[in-house]
Amino acid sequence: MALREFCSRMGASLSQDARSLSLRPAWPAQQQCRRLATTAADPDIETEASLNSTGPDEELVKNYDPIARARSRRRQLPSSRYKFRSPRYYRGPLHPHQPPPPTDPSSREFVPGPFSLPRLEQTWESTIAPDLLTLNYQHAPPGMEIVAKARGLRPWVGDNPYFKNRVPRPPRGGMFLPARKPITFRNVPRLREITVHSMVGQAMEDSGYLHVAGMAVQAITNKRAQVHEAKESVQNWGVKKGRPVSVTVDLQGEDMYHFLAKVVEVVFPRIRDFKGIKGTSGDSYGNITFGLTPEEVAMFPEIEVNYDMYPAKMIPGAHVTIKTSAVTDRDARMLLRSMGVPFYGKLVD
Amino acid sequence: MNSGPRSARRLASQAGYWPVKETRCRSCHEPTFSILRHAYSAAAASTPTAAEPQAPPSPTSTTDPTAPVTQRPLPKEYAVRAGVVLSRAPLITRDLHDFEKAFFLYQRRLNERLAMPFTTNFYFKRGTPAHLDWKRKARERLTPAHDVGRYTPYGEEGWNDEVLVGAKESEPDAQVEALVREAEDTKLDGEGEGQEAKKKVVVERPQPRVTEADRQGNTRSLNRQLQRTLYLMVKNEEGEWKFPERRMFRAESLREAAEHILGEAAGIDMNTWFLGNHPIGHYERKYKESFYNAHRQSEELGEKTFYMKTRIMAGQANLQGNKLGLSDFQWLSKDEIEQTVPRWYWKAVRNMLPDR
Repeated sequence: MALREFCSRMGASLSQDARSLSLRPAWPAQQQCRRLATTAADPDIETEASLNSTGPDEELVKNYDPIARARSRRRQLPSSRYKFRSPRYYRGPLHPHQPPPPTDPSSREFVPGPFSLPRLEQTWESTIAPDLLTLNYQHAPPGMEIVAKARGLRPWVGDNPYFKNRVPRPPRGGMFLPARKPITFRNVPRLREITVHSMVGQAMEDSGYLHVAGMAVQAITNKRAQVHEAKESVQNWGVKKGRPVSVTVDLQGEDMYHFLAKVVEVVFPRIRDFKGIKGTSGDSYGNITFGLTPEEVAMFPEIEVNYDMYPAKMIPGAHVTIKTSAVTDRDARMLLRSMGVPFYGKLVD
Repeated sequence: MNSGPRSARRLASQAGYWPVKETRCRSCHEPTFSILRHAYSAAAASTPTAAEPQAPPSPTSTTDPTAPVTQRPLPKEYAVRAGVVLSRAPLITRDLHDFEKAFFLYQRRLNERLAMPFTTNFYFKRGTPAHLDWKRKARERLTPAHDVGRYTPYGEEGWNDEVLVGAKESEPDAQVEALVREAEDTKLDGEGEGQEAKKKVVVERPQPRVTEADRQGNTRSLNRQLQRTLYLMVKNEEGEWKFPERRMFRAESLREAAEHILGEAAGIDMNTWFLGNHPIGHYERKYKESFYNAHRQSEELGEKTFYMKTRIMAGQANLQGNKLGLSDFQWLSKDEIEQTVPRWYWKAVRNMLPDR
């Protein structure tokens, strides 16, 4: 206590001196006196946390009308010329007019959101993640270390004595399959991204197909579709290089959870004789793809609500790729199963 | 689940760390294994030759300086117990914090300001009753979005996107109510105001998020606290609220013991799912005084309890005729468990229960 008083007096006297010299102290004395957890807070600084403070008084709240206040203003506020506007072009880090970060609403790149806390995300946090953690727990006795080996490495087999302890050969096809580390609370598999992709071959003759595909994909995913041109000409499919053939949408975060929930809870149950997703699906990196036929795409509630507005037989099919943070397909499939996606047939891990 | 090639025992045995056949845990195995065997063999060897009747060895006698020198000290052990954490997952989403509600509404209004205009012609054919109905309602709420309240995003006063103190626009209940009211107001049959031929549309409201059991404070119901994970707590013979647990028998594994305990404690009227073969948590407790366990011929220092995780899918607990001497049960959330169980028990189990 005595020390604190000393500090504040020192600070006061220093600042007085500084004021008389019209200089500011380079190192405020207050800063050097650290408050300990056991000593009381300085009442001048931490009177009350802003969260605990009471709001404005009732009179002010009742009479507050921002619109009326703006209209009753005699002199208008300075016009937009005097306000900050984000530069239209980025002119480099040394230019004095720098754009604000994209999270700032005044930025030209600002995208609002999120608008809700998706149910599937909450389920993952409250139920699925703890369960996956329990199911995948791998016990290592104290002193033991679980070594995560890279997958698919081929040992050297032969009579050569120098094959012993030689570094194994990489997998066939130049793939690199990352090691599967034990699942801990840090790396429980979760959804990373969902890509909805629709290739429309008929777009070569009639671009209307591509427009309909774009609208349909935009409707079911809640995001603007991106058009892609063909990289190569394919004679059999009638695809010509450089012509637009497909639309994709990458979904992350809120949109991703809403989309998967819609697929699992609305579309899958409506599909006739639905068995699930093929067990062989997956790229062995933890990403799983399945297809939706045009009839199945039409089952999305967003398309069903104005089905008549889509030209007949122009609704496209789509490929849906679910990218997870899991490294193996087995873990990715376990995550998707817990979210309600069924699998059938032979499971390839 | 992990009993295959990846099990811990297999790993350890590969490293020459642990005999494969050994069924005891490592901490029990290392310090006391040889002593225990010697004690048994010594007892077996001494029994036929001993003329005097054998007194049961006691821990006090092992430390007694007057005891015969040949007597080996008793192995010191912990009682191994198994417990079941039976839980019901949350059924509905959680209530949003006030800040989250305000934030989401603000972001929606910002989106209304920044988004492209709603393409009415894509969703409604011009001149149809649905189109007229849409136009009437959109005029009333000033914006195509249904959940932002009365707000003009494109007008002169679009800047006024923050709600005032005490406004209800950000409350999910108010948004649902507005949606339902609007849906009930549908006039597809007759567009004229004079015609009262339109049918009264009744829209089903969402189920309440607070149930009858919540209002009555019925903690035995599974239909309570829909937003939280509920755990089965039972009242044992000492009158303490705990998870169902008891001492393990030698022949059963942890998973088997947990399955048996659940049947013995809460009956068979439940569909349950045991998650894996590993415990999710454990605690150790030392007794104030160690005692002699005649069955195992050891000195018992305390107890170690291991908890297995289980989910209830259907059914309800039934304590009738339970073998553990339980008198009551409750389905409690994590916060309520803290209020119910003894302090030391809460500290032992709190970290294995998810927050929600």
